[in-house]
Amino acid sequence: MTSPYKRIIGLTVLTFILAMVPLIVKSPYYMHLLIMVGMNAMLAMTFILMLRAGLISLGIAAFWGIGAYVSALLALRLDLSFWMAMPLSAIITGAVALCIGCVLVKNPGFGFIIETVVLGEIAVLAFAHLPLFGGYKGIVSIPPVDPIHIPFLFSIEFVSKTASYYLILFLFLLVAIGYSAFYSAWTGRAWLAIGLNPRLAESKGVNIYRYRLLAFVVGSAGAGLAGSFYAHYYGAIAPTTFNVFKTIYIHIFAILGGVGFPVLGPIIGAFIMILVPEVLRVAKEIEPIITGLLLILLVLFLPQGLLSLLSRRKKNARPVG
Amino acid sequence: MLSLAGQLIIEGLGIGLVYVLLAAGLVLILNIPRVFFIAYGQFYMLGAYILWGGTVLFKLPFFISLILSILATGILGAISYRLIFYYIQNVRDNFLPIIVAAMGLMMIMQQGALLVFGTSSHGMQSEFPGLIEFGDIIVSVEKLVLIILALLVTGILYVLLQKTKIGRAMRAVSFRADISSLQGINPTLVYMVTMGVGCALSGFAGGIMAPVYAVSPDMGGIILTVLLVIMLGGMGSMLGAVLGGLILGLTLSFGHYFIGADLAQIALFLVIGIILFFKPGGLLGNPGEDLSS
Repeated sequence: MTSPYKRIIGLTVLTFILAMVPLIVKSPYYMHLLIMVGMNAMLAMTFILMLRAGLISLGIAAFWGIGAYVSALLALRLDLSFWMAMPLSAIITGAVALCIGCVLVKNPGFGFIIETVVLGEIAVLAFAHLPLFGGYKGIVSIPPVDPIHIPFLFSIEFVSKTASYYLILFLFLLVAIGYSAFYSAWTGRAWLAIGLNPRLAESKGVNIYRYRLLAFVVGSAGAGLAGSFYAHYYGAIAPTTFNVFKTIYIHIFAILGGVGFPVLGPIIGAFIMILVPEVLRVAKEIEPIITGLLLILLVLFLPQGLLSLLSRRKKNARPVG
Repeated sequence: MLSLAGQLIIEGLGIGLVYVLLAAGLVLILNIPRVFFIAYGQFYMLGAYILWGGTVLFKLPFFISLILSILATGILGAISYRLIFYYIQNVRDNFLPIIVAAMGLMMIMQQGALLVFGTSSHGMQSEFPGLIEFGDIIVSVEKLVLIILALLVTGILYVLLQKTKIGRAMRAVSFRADISSLQGINPTLVYMVTMGVGCALSGFAGGIMAPVYAVSPDMGGIILTVLLVIMLGGMGSMLGAVLGGLILGLTLSFGHYFIGADLAQIALFLVIGIILFFKPGGLLGNPGEDLSS
């Protein structure tokens, strides 16, 4: 645990660097990739948050999908603007997670993983079969992010990729700061205790069930926020996007960077996993095989993630979970 | 009415017994080496492809191809344990690394099958054509062979676990690996054998299902249903796997007939959800037990 000051300074420097990126990168294609990096890093942060509390969820993509669908439906059926639909979809996703989590969090460990896998699949089936969600074709023509009008001064339009990049940067920081606040408050200490040794934590008076449920709900709300952005950025969503494979990729992003690094790890991991195949122009067919091999090698030889190479001091730190 | 019930029960038994085998194999792997082996479904796919390749491409007899698919998946499972999971099993907090490594294996096998065999699915001719009538109930010979083979293998598995030396060693290791090694049991060997047996069961199930359904690279998705069965029956219980598999098979068979395939699936999820709400550990599981710790 780093001190709060170090964390604030680190976050400021990171923000500054990330905000400078559009000055260098001009190509819309690469901007799009960077936006995807930001969104996936948000999802990977969610994974790390749940992992801290000892929950390994294979259903993150399902909540990402719930956020996307809820936001799309709110915008299309109720004519809400993005700025209303986004927080609402995060809240609704959190509420759904609360209802489901009440049952799921009861038996963590293998049971939880199995149940989240099944949940992920049920979500895809539900999106695909219920008429409300538009079937396998999904929902199309979702309105883009509404412009912000500041009276008498200027208005911000979210048409260019650069503007979307700043929006995802803002959302990423929002989630990062939100999660960091949870980490440094008493909740973070409770999660850490649960992650290290649940039985000991319980005997010290930490209500495991309640804190795990909190982690599940907070993480799912964060995933819902990312989903809302995704729906409005892409303009169309389809159920198969949100399957279990997506969650596996989210795990890879987090683990490649290092699960001991809740903010920087996901960025590095997502950056490498998304940009390197694009730059190297690896054939789409063999890309999953390389990813799979990479996963196995990573687990065998670098279980702490790439960032652990940089910080010698944290050599003995091990992933919580 | 009675004949209809009999017909549906036979259909349900056919599919249910395959799930029993699959769930039994995965329960072994979950309980003895404690590997959350998410690549399990891909071994099912591999078994089906080997049977298809053996009978259709190389014109081998059905049973020789079946034995080939059992052997190949078993050996591959044991090797995958020795090459990957052996090294991360004894690390502290091995839970996440094991899942991640299994996910890697899953991706490699899935995409490998897609590259080698292509995306299209392959049907194959039934090896045992014909129908048999028992009174009013009409059963295809193929289904009967499937049921008999599945029962036979379940019996063999029971004998293996309960009566043989390696079965006793497996149970000892699942109880306490370090203590059992004091008794002269080599845990690594037992783990390898268990992974082999589990994956071979998966390959066998794939083999006997290949003539019934078409063979395709996304057969590995069956892992979800197998996990459902295990959830239903209880994580640590072999008998639970049997019970869960049969309940699933019968529910699906009766549900398909009375309310249609899609609704049957949703009904199944509902039933399992309700059972888990009241019995979080599954039907025969122990709610307090947590295999991860």
